[in-house]
Amino acid sequence: MTESAPLAVELRGITKRFPGVVANSDIELRVARGEVHAIVGENGAGKSTLMKTLYGMHRPDEGQILLDGREVVFKSPGDAIAAGVGMVHQHFMLADNLTVLENVVLGAEKAHGIGAAARRRITEISDAYALGLQPDDLVEDLGVGDRQRVEIAKVLYRGATTLILDEPTAVLVPQEVDELFGNLAELKREGLTVIFISHKLDEVRKVADSITVIRRGTTVGTADPATTTAKQLAEMMVGAQLPTPQTRTSTVRDTPVLQLTGVTVAGQGTRPAVDEVTLTVREGEVLGIAGVEGNGQAELVDAIMGLRPLAAGTIVLGAEDITGWTTRTRRERGIGFIPEDRHRQGMLLEAPLWENRVLGHQTEAPSAKGFFIDRKGAVADTERIMREYDVRAPGADTLAVALSGGNQQKLIVGREMSAKPRLLIAAHPTRGVDVGAQSVIWELLKDARAEGMGIVLISADLDELIGLSDTLTVMLRGGVVATLDPGEVTPEQLGGYMTGAVAGTPAGAA
Amino acid sequence: MKALTRVGQTLLAPVLAVLIALVISAAVMLAIGVDPFRALEVMVDFGDTPSQQTTAIVVVLNRAVPLFLAGLAVAVAFRMGLFNIGVEGQYRMATVLAAGAGAAVSLPAPLHVLVIIVVAMLVGAVWAGIVAVLKVTRGVSEVISSIMLNFIALGLASFLLTGPLRGSEPGASIITTEEIPESGWFPSLNGVFGAIGLADPPRQLYGFLLVALVVGVVVAVVIKRTRFGFDLRATGLSASAASASGVNARRMVLTTMLLSGATAGLIGLPDLLGSNHTYGTEFTSGLGFLGIAVALLGRNNPLGIAIAAVLFAFLDRAAVPLQIAGIPSSVVTIIQGTIVLAVVVANEVSRRITRRQAESGSAVAPPSTGDGSTGGGQGPDGGPPPDGPVGTGPALTNATGAAGRTSPTGSTS
Repeated sequence: MTESAPLAVELRGITKRFPGVVANSDIELRVARGEVHAIVGENGAGKSTLMKTLYGMHRPDEGQILLDGREVVFKSPGDAIAAGVGMVHQHFMLADNLTVLENVVLGAEKAHGIGAAARRRITEISDAYALGLQPDDLVEDLGVGDRQRVEIAKVLYRGATTLILDEPTAVLVPQEVDELFGNLAELKREGLTVIFISHKLDEVRKVADSITVIRRGTTVGTADPATTTAKQLAEMMVGAQLPTPQTRTSTVRDTPVLQLTGVTVAGQGTRPAVDEVTLTVREGEVLGIAGVEGNGQAELVDAIMGLRPLAAGTIVLGAEDITGWTTRTRRERGIGFIPEDRHRQGMLLEAPLWENRVLGHQTEAPSAKGFFIDRKGAVADTERIMREYDVRAPGADTLAVALSGGNQQKLIVGREMSAKPRLLIAAHPTRGVDVGAQSVIWELLKDARAEGMGIVLISADLDELIGLSDTLTVMLRGGVVATLDPGEVTPEQLGGYMTGAVAGTPAGAA
Repeated sequence: MKALTRVGQTLLAPVLAVLIALVISAAVMLAIGVDPFRALEVMVDFGDTPSQQTTAIVVVLNRAVPLFLAGLAVAVAFRMGLFNIGVEGQYRMATVLAAGAGAAVSLPAPLHVLVIIVVAMLVGAVWAGIVAVLKVTRGVSEVISSIMLNFIALGLASFLLTGPLRGSEPGASIITTEEIPESGWFPSLNGVFGAIGLADPPRQLYGFLLVALVVGVVVAVVIKRTRFGFDLRATGLSASAASASGVNARRMVLTTMLLSGATAGLIGLPDLLGSNHTYGTEFTSGLGFLGIAVALLGRNNPLGIAIAAVLFAFLDRAAVPLQIAGIPSSVVTIIQGTIVLAVVVANEVSRRITRRQAESGSAVAPPSTGDGSTGGGQGPDGGPPPDGPVGTGPALTNATGAAGRTSPTGSTS
C-alpha cells in the first residue's frame, strides 16, 4: 500500500438529509485499493444510507465522492456500475426460476451477449474468484451461500472493481460465513476493493483490513482490526456497554402452556411448509426456534395464531384444544403476538398510537366498552405504556409512522405484555431496533418469563436465541430437526443443524 | 389550537382543489367560447322572488339527499378498502322492488313507509351481498363483480318494470310501476320554511332528509366509535395487520358489503317516497356513480360527504338555468369532473405531506412539543438509557423547519 496511490474510494463530508432527519452528516471515508474495508455501526446508524449514496441510489446533499482520486457524480446506480462500483444487496435480487447464467446476464445483455461469450465470461469469473458457480443451475435449487455468490458474480460481470456488500453475513450460518470470507480473500488478491457493511464485530475483525465506525449518522473514527479489541469497537459503535441476552436461573415450571402435536401446514408445492411439528412450551419457559429463514418458522407462527389453516395436527393452549379457534378468540384467551414484520402485521402506520394500542385487543378493556371503542381508556393506557416501556413519542395521538423502529417495537411489546398473556409468540422481537431498545425488550422478555409466561422465540440472531432460550429447537425444511440445550451449544454447532450439515440428534432439553 | 390546525389542514386540500378545478373549468369555458363569469353568475342566481329562492334551495337539498346516501354507501365499503362500484345496481334493484312492495301492500302510514324502507335496504344488501359472497368464497374481485352486477340489475329492473311490476297503461310513453298509495308517502318538511320565516316554496322538501341525517350520524358513529368500525378501518389501513389482530377478514367483507348495500338501497327512496311515488323509465339514474365522486370529494367522511353532496347538488341545479341562458349545461359536468380529479390529486398530496410531517416528527421526539402536559413529564421520570436524551433513531440535528427546536441535542455524544 503506497502512500501516493490514489484511494479507490474517498468520501468527503457526505451529508444526506431526509425530511426531518439527517441520515448522514459529514461522513469521511477513505478506502485503499485492494483492501477489505469494513463499515460498522448499529442498526439505524446510517450505514445503508451511506452505501446507497455511494451506489448512486440517491444523491448526497453535501460532500464529494472520489473514485481513484477523481470526483464523480452518480445520478443512478447505472452511473455507479459504469464507474466500477457494484453492490451486493442484503436481500437477494434474483429470479428463482432462471438459471445462474440468465440471472447474471439479465440487465447486462450488452456486455457479452447472452450466449457462449456470456457463459465463458461467467465461468472465467467463477474460476478466477473461486465462486464455484455452474451457469446452468437453477437459482431456486441453490442455497443461500450460493445465491450470494451469484449476486457477487453479477456485480463482477458488470465490471465492478469496488464491491459493496450490505450486511452479507446476516443471512448466512457460520460455515457459509467462512466460505464468504474465503471468496473475499480471492477478490482482494485479484486487486478488487471490498466495502463490507456489518454490525457483527467478530466477523469484521476477522475479515477486514481496516474499519470505519459510524455512529448516529457520522463517522466516529477508524480502527485497525489487528490492534482493536471487539470491546473497544463496540464502545466506539454504541458509546456505551453492550447489553447481553443472558438469562438468569431457570424458571421453567411443569404445567404446559402450549402443546403442538403433529402440526402440519400445507406449502406452496408438494412439500408441506410445516411438517409434523410437535412441541411443548411450559410456564416460565422460553422455547427458542432457530432456523435459516424460510424453513417454516413463519408458517408455524401463523398456524399458532390461527392465521393459516392446519393440514393436520392439534394445538392445545393450557388444557383447551384451540385448533378450531379464530385468531381473535386465541388472542382473547391469552396468546400475545409480536409479529416478525411489525409494519405488515403489528401496526397501523397511518393511525395514531392509541389506535395501535387497541389493535389486537379490540374486545378487551381498556380498549373497549361493550360494542364501543373506549377512546379515553385506550389513550390513557397508551400513555401508561409509553411511560413504562419508554416509548418516545410526543403523545398518544402521534401517528405510528412517526416513531422509529425501536419505539414502534417497544409499543408493540408493551401492548402485548399489558394483556398479560399466558403465551407470547415473539417473532424476531429485536429485529431492526437499536441497541437501547434491544436490551429493554430482552429485559421485558426475561421478566415475563420469570412471572410464568410461556414464550416461543423465533429469531435469526443466534446469540439472542442461545442467550434467552431455555430450550432450543431447530427447524429445517418445515420440520423440527433438533432439540438442544442452549447452555451447551455453540453458534457454530447450531449453524450445522440449521443447514442440515449435522444430522438431527435430539439431545434432551434442560 | 391543535385541533383547529388539524381541521384547517383537512379542509385546506379539498377547498384548494375546488378552487383549482374552478380555474381549470373557467379555462375550458373560455376555450369553448363561454364567459366563465357569466356562467358563474347564472349558477349562483337563485331567482328574484323569495318563493323562487326557497324553491332553488329545495331543489338543491332534494338532489343532495340521494347523493349523500350514495356517497355514504360507497364510503362505508371504501373505508375498509373495498370498492363498491355496484351502488348503482343496488339502488336500482332496491327502488324497483320497494316501489312494487309499496304499491302491493296497504298499511297505516308510518308502518307503510317503514316497510318500503326495510324492503329497499334488504334488497340493496342482498344485491351487494352477492358481491361479498363471490369475493369471500371464490376470490372474485369486488370491482369486477359489482360492475357486472350493475348490468344485470339494470336489465332485471327493466324486466320487472315492464313485466310483473308494470302499473302504467299499455301503450303509455312512460312505463312506471303502480303508484304507492298515499299512506306510503313520506311527509315533506315544508312546514320548516314557515317556521323560520321563509317563503313556502311550491316544491316539497323531502322529509327523507331527516332519515338521511340519521343514517349519516349512525354511519359516522359506527365507523368512528364502535369495535366494528375499528375493525373496518383497521382492515382498510392494513388488511394483514387487521387479520393478525383477530379481525375475521371474510366476515368483515360480508358485513361491510351488506351495510354498504343496505345504505345504497336508500338512495332511490327520497325521490320515490317524496315525489314520484312510482319507479319508472324516467327515474333518476346515475346516482350510484355520482356517489363514488361524492365519497372521494368528501374523503369518505360523513360530514365531508354531506358537504360534497350539497356542492354537487348545487352544480346539478345549475344545469337548467345555464341552458336557459344559452350556455351548454355540460359546463356543470366539466366542473364536477375537474373537481373530482383535483380532489383526488389534492387528497393524495396532502396525505403524503401529513405522513412526511409525521415521519419527520420522529427526529424531534420528546423536547418541547408545545403543550407541556406530554413533553414535560416524560423526559425526567422515564429513566432513559444513558446514550443521550433523544432516543428515537439517530439523535441528529433536524433538517426541515423545526431545526431550531433541536439545538441542544447536537452537542451530546
